[in-house]
Amino acid sequence: MAGLRIKKVWVDRRVETNGLTRQLLDRLAGQPVEIVDSVEAVRRFIRLHPDPVGEGKQHLFITSQPSFIRPCPCTPGCLGCGYWTIDLDLNCPFDCSYCILQDYLNLQPLTVAVNRDELCSELEVFFRQKPSGIIRIGTGELADSLALDQLTGNSVFLMEIFRDRPGCWLELKSKAGLPPALLQVRPADNLVLAWSLNPQVVIDSEEKGTAGLEERLAAAAWAVTHGYRVGFHFDPILHYPGWRLDYERVVESIFRLVPVEAIAWVSLGSLRFPPGLLPLARRRFPQSRIYEHEFTRSAEGKYRYPRPLRQWLYNQLADMFAGFGAEDRLYLCMETVEVWQEFSAKIKRGRRNFTFPFPWQC
Amino acid sequence: MVFRIVKLSDLNLEDRRFRFTLNSADSRLLRSIRAVGVLQPVIVTARQDRQVLVDGWRRIEAARSCGLEELPALEIAEKIGDPAVFLVAFFENYGQRPFSLAEKSLAIRKFYDFRLRANEIIERILPLLELPPERRMLELMLEVSVLEERFLQVIHRRDWKPVTAEQLLSFPPEERAWLLSLIEKLTHNQQREVIESFYSLKRKTGKSLEDLVRKEKLAGPTERLLKGEISAADRLLAALREEKSPLLSGLRQAIEAEVRNLGLPEKVRLDYDRNLEKPVLRIGLEAGEVTELKEALQSLSASLENPEWRRLFQLLHYEGE
Repeated sequence: MAGLRIKKVWVDRRVETNGLTRQLLDRLAGQPVEIVDSVEAVRRFIRLHPDPVGEGKQHLFITSQPSFIRPCPCTPGCLGCGYWTIDLDLNCPFDCSYCILQDYLNLQPLTVAVNRDELCSELEVFFRQKPSGIIRIGTGELADSLALDQLTGNSVFLMEIFRDRPGCWLELKSKAGLPPALLQVRPADNLVLAWSLNPQVVIDSEEKGTAGLEERLAAAAWAVTHGYRVGFHFDPILHYPGWRLDYERVVESIFRLVPVEAIAWVSLGSLRFPPGLLPLARRRFPQSRIYEHEFTRSAEGKYRYPRPLRQWLYNQLADMFAGFGAEDRLYLCMETVEVWQEFSAKIKRGRRNFTFPFPWQC
Repeated sequence: MVFRIVKLSDLNLEDRRFRFTLNSADSRLLRSIRAVGVLQPVIVTARQDRQVLVDGWRRIEAARSCGLEELPALEIAEKIGDPAVFLVAFFENYGQRPFSLAEKSLAIRKFYDFRLRANEIIERILPLLELPPERRMLELMLEVSVLEERFLQVIHRRDWKPVTAEQLLSFPPEERAWLLSLIEKLTHNQQREVIESFYSLKRKTGKSLEDLVRKEKLAGPTERLLKGEISAADRLLAALREEKSPLLSGLRQAIEAEVRNLGLPEKVRLDYDRNLEKPVLRIGLEAGEVTELKEALQSLSASLENPEWRRLFQLLHYEGE
């Protein structure tokens, strides 16, 4: 569990006797533990720290979630990709300068939900009611799917629930290495292990505590060797002098290690953030320059690169993937109809063929 | 508290240990006191054989201006310690009006100096002041509170938000003073934008403000603004926006040049999304009757072979760095 440093474990009184809580406490033996009535007690503690967001990443809160599954809200004015999320863990031990969770989660400590029975029931209902066609669902929106896996064992647990559920694709998205547990079980056809990728220079400067590029790609390669499908997320793509060459090297590295056929999808998204993140991130990452780029405020109020630049970034990356015959794996994350239209035309999926399923999944 | 009449000359107004408010007596208060005198007692307490004002600074200022020699007061017993007396000053004002950021910072400084524990200030006082109950906010407020009076006055009068104060504090003292001279007379929004723009350009380039404003575009309006020409503020802001947004500014200039070159009649207007998110042109025609509409459409139609149209659409669809 690289990057994980727990100062204290806080247990929600409601789950004090839960079996998984006991297991987690055994695995965290030696750490100070406090039983509390709600997350507010933890928040009260961490907000006294000069860097409450950073401090929150070092306090583990074991609790239950009232509900787990929701459609990804995408962002107003943008075209959604039909993704669903499972909010099993909240927050992340990694400390990326661009991460919107710093602002979005409002001083939420690293949070693990242990009411798996409720999750199973909710998933049963979801599977029964799921709309026809392909469903993509993942745990990586409000957390890193694998960062705490050696502690929680969530990956294998979830994979077994999803096994033999054709049409329901579970995605575990991460910036960590591959948990050994996943190599000790038979892969499910509908599990996609996905890694967020950026050039090593970006990882060094903006993705504190995460696995390096080589480690992420090696994890993907091991996963493929073991029979898993993999995905990649270039999100956020950052624009800086020399970006093109750096990203080209990343794309080349992927295809040196991973065959196109093993790649389920690759998303592209450029840096974007809500206004609330700006002062917070500038304060927390004084060396970072990513917030001093040229931005526009989009209709939904977020800062984004100007459309001409976003389009350029996506098309350059599409060209790089086309060089390996993989441009049809690409889709855009949180982009406007106008950008999707140009991009879809570029990757020859047709201007109106915006959403899933991809042809090879039909 | 005991009611009594105090002589203005008995008050030690140099002792401002309980003062955190920044408003001065305005003409309405002066008129009121001239007409009926001070009706609402000020609050005082004895310290080292002198009366110290706890609350009522505006009334005292107005009373002096009106030539009053004494006024009604409520006296807090001398044995009551400073922290408890300050609570009176704080809450007496708290119910009356929202505090500016500068006043909030001064109130927090008083609590801090009167030895209220940091955690108590964070948990009890910051929420009362509608500030996030976080340590970094306490630290920011303590930093703001020790700024020079003229900074506090600008922050107070223009109702700054914490993020603007935080950005101002990130500049070294000499740059801060220069910035203040530059923005002192601007509106709140102009002040906020100038500070944010210089803050961002400085972070991006690593240059000092002095170096940044040497650029031709910025030098002119900066110099004029420093000479007191408020109208130069819009020029400065436009230059700063261009500096921060070179890609879109360049494209907008190129588009506007093509539109000018098209030479369309006055009654045909072209418009487009200035952020270039939507790569389309909107065309407006002005006509009062059918013949005018025909003329406008004909002139538009006749211009379609001009190469500027093609270049315009190319610019709208531009992709690049």
